Amino acid sequence: MEAAVVDAGSRLLKAGPAIPDQAPAMIIPTQMKRMVEDGSMGDSSLCEDITVDPVVRGFIRDWDAMEDLLNHVLYTGLGWEIGNEGQILFTDPLSTPKSVREQLVQLMFETFNISGFYASEQAVLSLYAVGRISGCSVDIGHGKIDIAPVIEGAVQHIASRRFEIGGIDLTKLLAQELGKSNPLVNFSMSDIEKIKEQYSRCAEDELAYSKTKNSCHIEKHTLPDGQVITIGRERYTVGEALFQPSLLGLDAHGIVEQLVRSISTVSSDNHRQLLENTVLCGGTASMPGFEERFQKEAGLCSSAIRPALVKPPEYMPENLTMYSAWVGGAILAKVVFPQNQHVTKADYDETGPSIVHRKCF
Amino acid sequence: MYGGDEVSAMVIDLGSHTCKAGYAGEDAPKAVFPSVVGAIDQMEVDDTEKTENNSGSAVDSKNTVRTLDSEKAKGKRKLFVGSQALGFRRDHMEVLSPIKDGVVVDWDMVDNIWDHAFRECLLIDPKEHPMLLAEPSSNTQQQRERTAELMFEKYKVPALFLAKNAVLTSFASGRATSLVVDCGGGSTTVAPVHDGYVLQKAVASSAIGGEYLSDCLLKSLESKGIMIKPRFSFKRKETRPGEFQTVDMDFPNTTESYRLYSQRVISSDIKECVCRAPDTPYDESAYSNIPMTPYELPDGQTIEIGSDRFKIPDILFNPSLVQTIPGMDNFAEIAPSVRGLPQMVIDSINRCDVDIRRELFSSILLAGGTASMQQLKERLEKDLLEESPQAARVKVLASGNATERRFSVWIGGSILASLGSFQQMWFSKAEYEEHGASYIQRKCP
Repeated sequence: MEAAVVDAGSRLLKAGPAIPDQAPAMIIPTQMKRMVEDGSMGDSSLCEDITVDPVVRGFIRDWDAMEDLLNHVLYTGLGWEIGNEGQILFTDPLSTPKSVREQLVQLMFETFNISGFYASEQAVLSLYAVGRISGCSVDIGHGKIDIAPVIEGAVQHIASRRFEIGGIDLTKLLAQELGKSNPLVNFSMSDIEKIKEQYSRCAEDELAYSKTKNSCHIEKHTLPDGQVITIGRERYTVGEALFQPSLLGLDAHGIVEQLVRSISTVSSDNHRQLLENTVLCGGTASMPGFEERFQKEAGLCSSAIRPALVKPPEYMPENLTMYSAWVGGAILAKVVFPQNQHVTKADYDETGPSIVHRKCF
Repeated sequence: MYGGDEVSAMVIDLGSHTCKAGYAGEDAPKAVFPSVVGAIDQMEVDDTEKTENNSGSAVDSKNTVRTLDSEKAKGKRKLFVGSQALGFRRDHMEVLSPIKDGVVVDWDMVDNIWDHAFRECLLIDPKEHPMLLAEPSSNTQQQRERTAELMFEKYKVPALFLAKNAVLTSFASGRATSLVVDCGGGSTTVAPVHDGYVLQKAVASSAIGGEYLSDCLLKSLESKGIMIKPRFSFKRKETRPGEFQTVDMDFPNTTESYRLYSQRVISSDIKECVCRAPDTPYDESAYSNIPMTPYELPDGQTIEIGSDRFKIPDILFNPSLVQTIPGMDNFAEIAPSVRGLPQMVIDSINRCDVDIRRELFSSILLAGGTASMQQLKERLEKDLLEESPQAARVKVLASGNATERRFSVWIGGSILASLGSFQQMWFSKAEYEEHGASYIQRKCP
């Protein structure tokens, strides 16, 4: 039986058997709806019920909800049978506290009774997906942005940076902007999410963005409840916020500048190798126009060596940026489990949850 | 006494240049960031500007309205900690260090630095982890009590231990007796360790550290006409497709200290890339014709560095060289009293008991960021062989890996805190509450 690979993001949970050159079998929202008797899973968009987010800013916070979610994913989605659980590989974001990892291992072995476990960092996996072991991964997700230089499969923690801004903050910004230009309309967050995904774009450069202030192509969009809104400049504002965080009200540099500065703390022998193998991943990075803008900004950054993006291999599916960590996990699963480098049930029973720090890195 | 089943201690080393923090048992700290903070004095700036600033997590903005009796009231002051927050230029932001001459003067800043390390870099709750802190080899009783107070009262840690830097370096190399030469960012300290205890009377320190050398390099390059532009002061513009031009940007409200800090970041990178310790004492005439090494600055300018490559490291061995660098005359007054590194080592050993001198000579450990300079170990060994007594066998040891040298204090702490036999030595919260902060002198010798 194939090992299962699970990448639990703040918005989407990607799971599937470890088949590397395909998209994950299940891509479902992580957000759950709480029913009266017990927690249950809802695929559709949420209304006024209590919504539960098991994964916040990349880290698992609500363990009971996560348990229910994994129950659904493993038994219903992937077709596991109780009593015959297989092996599972999880992905961790950057700077995962030790206690979170230990709790996850405990949950998997004690509640789900799996036979083998492995955890790996998302930055390394995204690089594996494009066929590299050294490089820099820029992961722009829903809850966080991780910039991590990786050398020979080891994340350089000293130079990596994590920002607690992500797609969710862009959605809030869009809501704010749309509220200003369409004051009479009532929005719900899920509507705004859809609008963001459908319409947002990155302007070609700063100059083009400032031109949109004067003249911009206006579009009309009909909400599910029938109201009509106009979207103009706001679509570009969302993309621009990643390059000019002052739009979000933050004192920080744009994403390319942050990348270049964090690389400058690594010893300079490796600079070229890191910058020239930059990988973009994460849902927000698949915004139309983002890659081109990134490359343009790369030419303007304050570094002698310019970041260059890696082209994914041809055999990889389209839209690799959305789930490159999962694909990398599938590749790794094919190496780790057959070679018995993972944490087995026997190891766990003998040593306890802290074994995960020794065996998985 | 503190003993838990799963003791996951944290190790923090707050140095004069960088702060290193991480979990015990690991081989490198996870959080490494500058131990200086950016401070904006609220009263100086217009209110409108500052109230706009939301606190995103990329910026650590804590409104420190504390009224600690022993601090002079600074009024409202916003502090920014960490390399991300410091990397962003803000108007009127001064760069300040909490540590002067190895002594902590501003506890507020130290508090903010620790908070940044716990809550933003490592994402842990200090209540659940015992803390091992590294302290300078000549720390005063008052400083230790203050540290204990801050840790127990504010962070409510379950247990604490303060270990001297030199002892930790010694453990990192597996020795109980050695002479530790710690060439750090802010200062250089030579301390003999015997059976795990620092011999206080023989500790010597000098203000010449990595930062000082970076400043010398900066001034030396300036005197040759090469201006290092800080990262915030220029921007690239695309004049024609494919062609770029660097444009200077002027920010009149940038403080001098921030400008210096940004320039230092670049000049210390130059220093780490090109500088080498010369094999013989530096001689102006001998090095005037050596080939120049190119280095590309962030703004695209390529500079050539020639004799400075060897002159700057030699300042460690011969501090009077500083007087030959124009612009550094204000430091000349400390130069006469400061001795070079080999002299400091000899002086320190001579102040120890005769019996252990042999052992100290044969196990001299190099630690600290500046110690990862190329050829430093060989040069120090050579100089010491000349000056030491005939019978002594001089051996300078340094770990081959540059990361290990830089973090050897932290690594020693990591080793110590994960030893089984150490778990009974923690200074626990219960003991603090019973005996008070002064008990720390007994528990952490």
